[in-house]
Amino acid sequence: MKALMSVGALVGAIALLLLVGMILDVVPSNTVRLVEGYMPIQMLLEVACFVAGFTGLSYMLSSMGMAVPRFWQGIGFWAFVLLYLKFRVYPPIPFSVRAMYGTVSLVAVFMWVSANEDDWKKFKQPIMNVLDAQSGANKMLRYAYLVLIPVLVGFTSFNAMKPKSEEPIELRTVHPAPPASTKVHGKTYTLQTSQNPYRVNPEGKFDQEYSNKLIVEQGMGRLMAPNANPWDEKNQGYLKYVKEGGEIFFQNCHFCHGDNLNGRGLHAFAFNPIPANFTDPGTIAQLQETFIFWRVAKGGIGLPNEGFPWASVMPPWEQHLTVDEIWKVILFEYWHTGYYPRTWD
Amino acid sequence: MGLVTRKKVFSIMALCAMVGLLLFPVIVSLPSLAIGADAPDAAKKEEAKVEKGRDVYYKTEGIVVGAPAPKTVDGPRDYPRYNFESRVLLWFANQQHLYYGSFVLAVPIFCMVVEFMGVVTKDKALAKRYDQLAYDFIKISLTAYSLTAVLGGILIFTFLTLYPAFFGYLSSIFRPVMHIYALMFVAESGTLYIYYYGWDKMKEGFLKWIHLSMSVILNIIGTLLMFLANSWIGFMMSPAGVDEQGRFLGNIWHVLHTALWNPLNLHRILGNMAFGGGVVAAYAAYKFLASKTDEDRAHYDWMGYIAMALGVAFLIPLPFAGYWLMREVYAYRQQMGITLMGGLLAWLFIIQATMIGILFLSTNYYLWQAMGRMRGAEKYQRYIKYLVFILACGYLVFITPHTMVMTPAELKAMGGQQHPVLGNYGVMSAKNGGINVIITTTVLSFVWYMRGNKVSTVSWSKFGNIFMGCFFFFAYINIIGLAIYGYYIPANVRVGLSVPQVATTLSCLFFMFALNSVMMKGAKQMGPIEWGKISARSQYALIMLATAFTWMMGLMGYIRSSVRLFWHVNEIMRDNSPWAYTHTVGFAANMISFNVLFFWISILFVFWLGSLAAKKAPVDAKAGVPGSAPQPAGSH
Repeated sequence: MKALMSVGALVGAIALLLLVGMILDVVPSNTVRLVEGYMPIQMLLEVACFVAGFTGLSYMLSSMGMAVPRFWQGIGFWAFVLLYLKFRVYPPIPFSVRAMYGTVSLVAVFMWVSANEDDWKKFKQPIMNVLDAQSGANKMLRYAYLVLIPVLVGFTSFNAMKPKSEEPIELRTVHPAPPASTKVHGKTYTLQTSQNPYRVNPEGKFDQEYSNKLIVEQGMGRLMAPNANPWDEKNQGYLKYVKEGGEIFFQNCHFCHGDNLNGRGLHAFAFNPIPANFTDPGTIAQLQETFIFWRVAKGGIGLPNEGFPWASVMPPWEQHLTVDEIWKVILFEYWHTGYYPRTWD
Repeated sequence: MGLVTRKKVFSIMALCAMVGLLLFPVIVSLPSLAIGADAPDAAKKEEAKVEKGRDVYYKTEGIVVGAPAPKTVDGPRDYPRYNFESRVLLWFANQQHLYYGSFVLAVPIFCMVVEFMGVVTKDKALAKRYDQLAYDFIKISLTAYSLTAVLGGILIFTFLTLYPAFFGYLSSIFRPVMHIYALMFVAESGTLYIYYYGWDKMKEGFLKWIHLSMSVILNIIGTLLMFLANSWIGFMMSPAGVDEQGRFLGNIWHVLHTALWNPLNLHRILGNMAFGGGVVAAYAAYKFLASKTDEDRAHYDWMGYIAMALGVAFLIPLPFAGYWLMREVYAYRQQMGITLMGGLLAWLFIIQATMIGILFLSTNYYLWQAMGRMRGAEKYQRYIKYLVFILACGYLVFITPHTMVMTPAELKAMGGQQHPVLGNYGVMSAKNGGINVIITTTVLSFVWYMRGNKVSTVSWSKFGNIFMGCFFFFAYINIIGLAIYGYYIPANVRVGLSVPQVATTLSCLFFMFALNSVMMKGAKQMGPIEWGKISARSQYALIMLATAFTWMMGLMGYIRSSVRLFWHVNEIMRDNSPWAYTHTVGFAANMISFNVLFFWISILFVFWLGSLAAKKAPVDAKAGVPGSAPQPAGSH
């Protein structure tokens, strides 16, 4: 047990040093990289390691007779969460999300320190000591708080009310609700039931399973599946159309959506919001191909009234591309990102 | 005829009267069915003259028997109004009626359960306590019942005066259903009063069983009432039984049995139960905090615990029922699903996730606090911090928005709309994992609570403990593993992953509870549960639980209603009033808060009224309350 705690303490100490380095800007945030494909769990595991480390540190300090009071443990852990979110995770997290996380972690700390009467008493003790002001130092602290707390409240209020020149915060809706059907080049497509006519096997039959096997594989980066090279001249069916879709994409779309399809094309940052990032698991991965077909065909101007203003400069591509070209470019987008379109079977 | 026999005869007569009341609306509706049965013959004769239409949902052909949905225009004829937003007035009336309606439908179900526990418990003192508790429950709901009826009247008048065209159309479609509803309401009232006022007269032996049977009938009527009311909102969201113009095609079952009716029914039953439990628990918490004696504190502590346990028992399956509802919404109309979960109303779902998290956090916190009144539960206290950590992680994932609120400067610094790390938590795969982790942890807290002051004496207790530990460990691994795997597979397969995740959580719930009960049979007691010796913080957690329930109910009702966007009846009858737009998130949140506040103030008044009319509590029952009393076997 002692050995385990010692390892924990070591992990905790190293992790803390790294975090302090990041806070002081001595160590870059990406020294320990967040790996694409593993990020969701990597961040949580990292925080779990910190917690294990803190447990070890607390145990060691306690064994050495230098136990950290529960009050400071609680405050310290909360401060750690705030600093971790601010200085470790990159790119920077917006304030609104940090505020949500900070509030939840404050509640969690409260639940921890007040889970039983003993802990709660220990936690409250320093606060009660200051309020009771039995010693000179506590008396001084009480006066200091008497002045500082109103000043802090006043400053916060002033800061909140002060006119700012920043652009206001936006609460955008990312996925507009599609219509039941859409008319493109004179033909009506029912979004719930239409299919991409180019998602076909070499025999020319619609085959979702076949195309699913040939998409780019995800993991630590994106790699083409074996024997699934769209540039192979002998290809028939799905992969042939993926290549044709790719050509259309690079002729028309990549200027904004980027050559990695991550929404960071040449012109991307001229727009607000920047174009959609197809590699994100929350965009095309969540949607039916017919949804994308409708969005590409009708562009920003064809978005529904609800949720206006959409602030989308996406052109209505039906004015520039044929129906076939739109379907092919969608095929390429799914292939390249390694996502499957949503289906309802 | 002896006194007892006479009582029995009267009781059986009362029960028969209730069954009669229950069947009355059905019998009354039979002639109309008979007329309906003749109708096809008549129709055959005049087939050439009748007009046929196609059902918008069932796609069956039917004879048009109703008028088309009115095409309303903004003006005093279709939308008469005060100098105020009519929609807001209707929202308020509707929400208050729903709060009270849910409460008075849920409490008799609790009553039935608690009364049954009292009847089957062998310990007489405990049986008396259960009986008193059930009586307390029904007493609370009785005053609220009158208010529910009054609010129902206000709601109908609001509809008639502010939305006459819409309500006229709805009542033309649901005419027979509305009459049956009204008659069911009469049946519900009659049953409730017989049940309440017959309590003392039917408190023992055979008569008690008759009384218990009455509660079953009462709840059947209540549930049917709710189903009928649900059919109206089901029709508004996913109409059926009418053609494209909204003309009724003669099949009332189609109108009732719309695509969303059953998911709504299930979701509302569970939701009502959880809400009812929360309100009663808050009542008990309030009484606990106001108690002057240890005896009262012990009684209300116990009452709060039972109400909380019943409420949470229905809260645990609630997210799964919600999931089924959403699945059906997507299946009915994809755009409706996207508007809810990914589009216009998505932010409200983030708020909902926050509220769900608060519910589970409050429940866990209460259970940890409750362990403080048991000797022997100290052994679990040191591990609570790890539960807090797991809960917090699940909660953070569950509430992370996919599209974040940010300034343009933050957007540029982040490099896109979605954060490459946290954006991953904004999708369904992660959220399913998050909520299942939260629920499994709540189950674990319950298991700890159940064995808090006990030491298993079965010979295989060591093996049992290791088995339980491994079961929970692998449950977490399975839930989290599937959540990660969900990123790498097609969406339709990913949706299916929720089944093993939910199955894992429910396995923990049922197997672990069952195993724990077997292990704790005849267990060594480390000391009694000292009812009443619980921290005040725990009672605030109960109040928090109830407030969060109330707020969430208001929120979800608003979301469900808003998803119709500018339709009174989806794709059939358009809302042409000036208020056919979706409110801002801020306005909606303020309105929901106002409704919650009003409900709590009014229900405090109801509680006060209830205490005025209080039946003098039997002294012996009070004396038997906790502290010195034996522990309720079924209470933990």
